[in-house]
Amino acid sequence: MNCLKILKAADVAEGMELTGPTRLMTRERMRWYVDAQPTVALDTGRIERQEPTIHDDDAYARSQGLPGIIADGMISTNWILGLLIERFGETAACEGRLRTKYVKPIYEDDAIVARARVTAAEPDGDRLRCTLDVWCSNGADQQVTVGEATVFVPR
Amino acid sequence: MATGRYVSDLEEGDVLGPVEYTISRFVIREYAHAVELHQDFFQHRDGQIAPPTMVHLDKLRLYRHACPAGTGPHARVHVEYDATVHAPVPADTRLVVSGHVSGRYVKRGREYVHMDIEMKEAASQRPLVSYRDTVILSYSGESSKKADAA
Repeated sequence: MNCLKILKAADVAEGMELTGPTRLMTRERMRWYVDAQPTVALDTGRIERQEPTIHDDDAYARSQGLPGIIADGMISTNWILGLLIERFGETAACEGRLRTKYVKPIYEDDAIVARARVTAAEPDGDRLRCTLDVWCSNGADQQVTVGEATVFVPR
Repeated sequence: MATGRYVSDLEEGDVLGPVEYTISRFVIREYAHAVELHQDFFQHRDGQIAPPTMVHLDKLRLYRHACPAGTGPHARVHVEYDATVHAPVPADTRLVVSGHVSGRYVKRGREYVHMDIEMKEAASQRPLVSYRDTVILSYSGESSKKADAA
């Protein structure tokens, strides 16, 4: 966790860019998300496992025509959400919108960075309504996940 | 009406659920750890809330409820997440989720399925998260009977 200050309405301006940390999409990170799904579904108090998927089993991924395992798109979606929370605070998890589209696969050990750019900041009652383009890029600076977000910042 | 069998049988207009469950502190922590959301309000603080992205797992919950035979002959690939958060999702809250297949169509040779999911607080029916999930039913063949995690 970094120690960046939470942005206030007065700090936000159109064109402002936000950047998260660089993270390698390791197979462990992919497996954490695979395991989280049955763990949440069954809610036994233990880590649960599921059948092999394209996200955690090389042979199964290859059987589906892939060169190897690829990350579940929801990991990059959550890394974008994490960036918004780091910079705007809890409000980003409490109200607003996030849309993400997975435009390229994320392979094992790709270096992924979540980014956002403020495209509009308009008063909305006692808040500032911030609209952002959001995306994740890989080590080749290709966008792999793209979308937009709306965050309400207290004034 | 194509519920009751495979996910890949779902048709536009199908309704999935409602399904009720309690979102526990344990599953919120596990999910947040898995996606590296380490903020106190997801982990251990009084007033713990869930990451709103957990609504995506309600799709799988609804699939299991409405399509008990599993994924079917077509594995699926998740292509788009689109969630509007109306209010925070507090830990230990009884939730009710329902789904509606709002579209199924072919575009450039790929078969897309949209499902609209509503997550509400069960007691009050207060909307918490509205979610549109988009998947492509892209694969076919015997080997793809094992479920993709999309």
